Amino acid sequence: MPKHQISSPVIELHDLIKRYGIGDAENHALSGVDLTIEQGEFIAIMGPSGCGKTTLLNILGLLDQPSGGEYILDGTSVGSLSRTRQAHIRSQQIGIIFQSFNLIHRMNVLENVALPLTYKGVSHTKRLKMASEILKTFHLSEREYYMPWQLSGGQMQRVAIARALVNQPSIILADEPTGNLDSKSSHIIMEELSDLHKRGNTIVMVTHNPDLTTYASRVIHMLDGQIASDTKTPIVTEKKHEKVSLDSKRAKVSKKTTKKGRRK
Amino acid sequence: MRLLLIDHIKTAVHSLKTTRTRTLLTTLGIAIGVASVTIILSLSHGITSVIDRQVRANDNNLAVVRPGTDSTTSFASPIMQQSFATSTLSENDITDIENLSHASRVAPLMLLNGSMSADTTTLKNRSIVATTPDFSSTSNLEVREGQFIDAVTNMNTAVVGPQLSVDLFGTEESIGKIFSIRGERFTVIGILKRANQPFNYNNVDLDTSAIISLESGKKFHNGTAQIQQINLRADNQKNLEKLVASAEKKLVKNHDGEKDFTILTGEQITRPTSNVFTTIAIVMTIIAAISLLVGGIGIMNIMLVGVAERTREIGLRKAVGASNAALINQFLIESLIISMLGGLLGYVAGYAIAFTISAFLTFSPAFTWQIAAIAFGISIVVGTLFGLYPAIRAARKDAIESLRQYR
Repeated sequence: MPKHQISSPVIELHDLIKRYGIGDAENHALSGVDLTIEQGEFIAIMGPSGCGKTTLLNILGLLDQPSGGEYILDGTSVGSLSRTRQAHIRSQQIGIIFQSFNLIHRMNVLENVALPLTYKGVSHTKRLKMASEILKTFHLSEREYYMPWQLSGGQMQRVAIARALVNQPSIILADEPTGNLDSKSSHIIMEELSDLHKRGNTIVMVTHNPDLTTYASRVIHMLDGQIASDTKTPIVTEKKHEKVSLDSKRAKVSKKTTKKGRRK
Repeated sequence: MRLLLIDHIKTAVHSLKTTRTRTLLTTLGIAIGVASVTIILSLSHGITSVIDRQVRANDNNLAVVRPGTDSTTSFASPIMQQSFATSTLSENDITDIENLSHASRVAPLMLLNGSMSADTTTLKNRSIVATTPDFSSTSNLEVREGQFIDAVTNMNTAVVGPQLSVDLFGTEESIGKIFSIRGERFTVIGILKRANQPFNYNNVDLDTSAIISLESGKKFHNGTAQIQQINLRADNQKNLEKLVASAEKKLVKNHDGEKDFTILTGEQITRPTSNVFTTIAIVMTIIAAISLLVGGIGIMNIMLVGVAERTREIGLRKAVGASNAALINQFLIESLIISMLGGLLGYVAGYAIAFTISAFLTFSPAFTWQIAAIAFGISIVVGTLFGLYPAIRAARKDAIESLRQYR
């Protein structure tokens, strides 16, 4: 039994179509996708390259316009809204996590996390306060004033996740969030995502890595622009995964104390 | 929206700081343009206020008649018309004006150029003013020593400016000395008080000129008067308008119904009329226009570079909810900051240069809020005009494409 009671659907897609090119060169990236995503689901979208999963994610994130079909987010049809309205919805309801983190290098960690709130109209001080709070939950408090290039890949992605979460979106979209990370950092990131899921967030993740689907509550396989299979998996227990402490500093501290204990 | 504006300014300052060198180099173009504008305006306002003081010196009852219909020299016609065209004003006009009611003083001004020589020195191309005794009262001249030309003085007498006296005789005490103008011998009967007004409505620096009678002047001009200007004063300020109206009527009648002259009063007289000055002003205006154009293109260029460099940032900002308008504003504010910084630099530098130039002149540049407003306005216009295209380009970028771009 999932931790969260299923309520109204967050996302409804009806016969979603995305075409590229014209005439002979016409190419369907998505050819009729029907999908309903409920509140609190953790969906992993799998499939070979070019099957349309990234296109689907871009449309879900309102970064791309569908050529046909209907996209209903939180009960309102958004596919055909003006660009300004869509930008507004992006700032209010959607959090995106990228494979390449996309932190702004001129800004420190805190400012990067606070960035989405700028376009939500939150005042500067309040913004930094909210960003600081969210960083605390990711155990990155002491990294607040670091610049992105001073962080490891895993830390950068955690900052990026914090940024995606800071505006309290109704849905979090992740495009290969662990694609640029080693396996250890990947697991840390996946632990974070699964933690978010347990706290009630809705997550849609695109991935190539079948191992990661074990974290998801529902796995969708795509092929040639259509959904090939859609399976709900029971929530995996934490035992399945290698436990890695999220707070590297705390880990070091505990090691030190044990050493001290031995000396005594 | 207001919050976003402050954010845009902060972001812009931040990003400009990280590219400090090229930002400063870009501001230079605008700075030079605005500096030129400031120099032109401050000096021309300075000169205007000097002449203005001369005109207002005596009850503000002065009117000036000049030949030609467009006597206020614009930047487009650097050379005064009267310098090559035959003047349409005649001696008859003077006597007619003298006979008008309310006319208290009337003096014609015939400007000549010629060489002068004393015992050992020869000066070329000095200005000679041929006029009537009333000239001293229309232009408030003060004679330091001796007397001004009057009706009873001999034809071959001259009043000299103090500097001319020094140039000719090596001393300011030259009463009774003899020198020659264009080969004619003249005796010095008076020396003017030093006025230090090379720019004035008479278009001649009296400190370095010789003043002779109109009769003598005509002798140098085949016996006819070539009158460049008639100065006239009303008996009091209230009657000036009536006097001008009646003078105009009279002169039109004299000139067969053709209005080929202009009567100026008050502020109209104060417009800069010096050839040198207008030429400098034209050159400076061209420099200003070119450097503002080049500076603007520089801003556009550097903004386009900035937009290209920050493609990923633009993509990300769009992904986290920045609207196109927000991005246009962000980049527009950045180019505005560059141009306004340039404007400020140019304004300060312009005054520094204007004061340096004025050290060699007899007047100081004027400080008015209008000049500051123009300098400021120009920078805003240039910043907006040349920043708009890069800003629109930034906003039009596709979010997905931008995020995919390798940095």
